[in-house]
Amino acid sequence: MVATAFSSLVPMETEEAQIARGLRRRDPDLLDALIEQYQHRLLRYLLHLTGNRAAAEDLFQETWLRVLEKGHLYDGRNRFVTWLMSIGHNVAIDHLRKRNPSSLDEMKDPEDGAPFEPEASGPSPLDMAVERQQYEMLDAALSRVPPLFREVLVLRFQEQMKLEEIAKLVRIPVATVKTRIYRGVMALRPALKGGAQ
Amino acid sequence: MTDHEHERAIDIITRHGADDIAARDTAWLEAHLAQCAECAEYAALVTSTGQLLRAVAITASPALVATTQARIRERAAQLREHQARVALIAVSFCIGVLSSTISAWLWWRFGGWVAGRLSLPASIVEPGMFVAWLLPAIVIALAMLASSRPVIDRSVTLAMLGEREGDR
Repeated sequence: MVATAFSSLVPMETEEAQIARGLRRRDPDLLDALIEQYQHRLLRYLLHLTGNRAAAEDLFQETWLRVLEKGHLYDGRNRFVTWLMSIGHNVAIDHLRKRNPSSLDEMKDPEDGAPFEPEASGPSPLDMAVERQQYEMLDAALSRVPPLFREVLVLRFQEQMKLEEIAKLVRIPVATVKTRIYRGVMALRPALKGGAQ
Repeated sequence: MTDHEHERAIDIITRHGADDIAARDTAWLEAHLAQCAECAEYAALVTSTGQLLRAVAITASPALVATTQARIRERAAQLREHQARVALIAVSFCIGVLSSTISAWLWWRFGGWVAGRLSLPASIVEPGMFVAWLLPAIVIALAMLASSRPVIDRSVTLAMLGEREGDR
């Protein structure tokens, strides 16, 4: 979408370079397009990181505000999604530290942690119920996985990121990414074998 | 089978799907998995993990997207305004510094000229003229520091607040 919108301006420029240029200008149209394009991926990542829909939505907005403010720091050499997720990662870590410095898992509030609440506009109640059921199954399975491992599992298998990208995003060595993925998969084993019960 | 072979197998399995794997490595992995139950189980678990995570469609609501876009536009306008203000202050500062430097030099020269005309010692008249040039700024600064009256009268603010509450 973004590529299409901006390709007419500078045909030889890469999509990342176009985004970097637009972010330096704080172009609201570009930001609107980016929000549309990456909305689901970012929210999914933040939701898995916090385990709380309301918190994830707050962090979603906070992440985009930070993208606007720090946009000049994006140089266009890496994929935009990696940079976006790293902003989301930092925002979530700041939030989790403020709320509870000892553990990421303890952030989950059983009362307000209901993943999906019906809203005035959006998917139908049936879609919401299906989504909610699916998410609850996934959440039950992922709750067995420590947050550090959960994050890399989500980035690797849901966002399909390369190990090097994950390493850059989470600021850990590639070898640590591999170890965390291995341990995360192993932590999920009982849920995978038992059908996520 | 060596530890190195298991490590290599786990590395390829972990990268599979996101990274480009050479055909030679894929062939080696297939041969390894046929012989190694442990790595084969890990490969199956990785596949199941991917399926599990991709099976759930988590979507952002249109309301969230619209709210975010509105906040971004509002903040972008604020930042643009702030940037324009900072630029104006910077230009004003530069002009101020430039005009101050030029006028200080002119006053100094004028002091020297007056000292020459009146046959007074230049070492006294020149600094005297300089202080006279600075005097208005010093007086205003001292007056501002000495002033106990706040910029916004608190009683007026309280009266306005009372009026608003009374309206409700």
